[in-house]
Amino acid sequence: MLNVLLANLPLLLKGAVVTLYLSAASAALAAVIGVAVALLQLYGDPVTRAAAHVYLYVMRGVPLLVLLFAMYYMLPYTGIDVGATAGGIIVIALYFGAFMAEVFRAAILSVPRGQWDAARALGMYGRLLMLIVVVPQALRIAGPPFVNTCIMLVKGTSLVSIVGLWEVTMAGRQIVERTLAPFQVFGGVAAVYFVICYCLSRYGRWLEKRVSYVH
Amino acid sequence: MKLDFNFILRNLPTFLEGAVVTLELSALAILCSLVWGLVVVTARTAPSRALALAATGYIELVRNTPVLVQMLFIYFGSAVLGAPLSGFAAGLLAMTLQNGGYMAEIYRAGIEAVSQRQVEAGMALGMRRHEVMSIVVLPQAIRKVVPPFTNQAIVMIKDTSLVSSISVAEMTFHAKLLTDRTAAAYEVFLTLAALYLAINAIVSAALRLLERRVAIPT
Repeated sequence: MLNVLLANLPLLLKGAVVTLYLSAASAALAAVIGVAVALLQLYGDPVTRAAAHVYLYVMRGVPLLVLLFAMYYMLPYTGIDVGATAGGIIVIALYFGAFMAEVFRAAILSVPRGQWDAARALGMYGRLLMLIVVVPQALRIAGPPFVNTCIMLVKGTSLVSIVGLWEVTMAGRQIVERTLAPFQVFGGVAAVYFVICYCLSRYGRWLEKRVSYVH
Repeated sequence: MKLDFNFILRNLPTFLEGAVVTLELSALAILCSLVWGLVVVTARTAPSRALALAATGYIELVRNTPVLVQMLFIYFGSAVLGAPLSGFAAGLLAMTLQNGGYMAEIYRAGIEAVSQRQVEAGMALGMRRHEVMSIVVLPQAIRKVVPPFTNQAIVMIKDTSLVSSISVAEMTFHAKLLTDRTAAAYEVFLTLAALYLAINAIVSAALRLLERRVAIPT
């Protein structure tokens, strides 16, 4: 029964490495986008604030798959050629960047007002106040929801298989076409995602506990 | 970039044909996962440890694997078993299984938000455990979880686009065929995105109205 899975394990693990790479790259990029959009939303002028709002609205209302299709079908007509892998990473990062923006915005807003006041009373202002007082506390609050968004992102990377990028889901589909053993193979694919996401969710819960000790 | 609006108008019936399937699948999946989530949360909070453990394992399993892989598992798996499901049925089943897990967690948050004193008060009035649950706790819990439920409903509407990959002719599927045939990528995908935005805007506005209607007055 499980021979099929064992025989194709090396290929699946190769796919798993690609999935990890895609996830890590797009999570890093999404975090940068998230912080930038959150800051623009909170402290930007009305124009950038409106732009951030439109960005969030579109990303929350349009499916990731449609954005991926749009990227792969529309971009060639504009003459921009970023390559399949980079394109996938950028689209995933843009999509989940919107969710990250919400995470960071909520985290900055949930730093107690008294901390800002205390810092100002000590003569801090502007960048100094943000860097020394607000950001370290906000990052601690943002930890658990950030990890949750990363879990969504890892699962989201499976969609790039539909637009033809080779990662673990695509590897699974290829093996099934050859072996006609969908239960074993897709079970194996699911196990790969489960291991990654379950570790992340344990880590998230551990972070959550640490945060709740402080408060 | 110049958009050909005539092209969009000409092909609008195709999009709407797909939109009907998207809406059908969304509505069915949301309803089924609401019911399934209630079953899962009942098991999750049951006094029996084995049942609670099984439900927890189930929730972890469906929430930590992609819904696309679940769809492929069910779609191709059912064919091997000799009882092939249609893409629509496989998609509906996968979405119900996954989102039932999410819904169960949402319900649980709502149940935990109801004060323990109300449970004790119900017990003191001589109600049984299931009566306290169905008469006192759940009606309040459900009213409290309308906002996270709205979020999950939007996620589900977006996830219906995935069934295009198991050959269900919904909106994204039609859009892809149309692009393959006409190469009018801008027109097709901008229309598609606008349609999804419109559906989600309408659904979230409707659910926000519901939220205000059922909010527990303080």
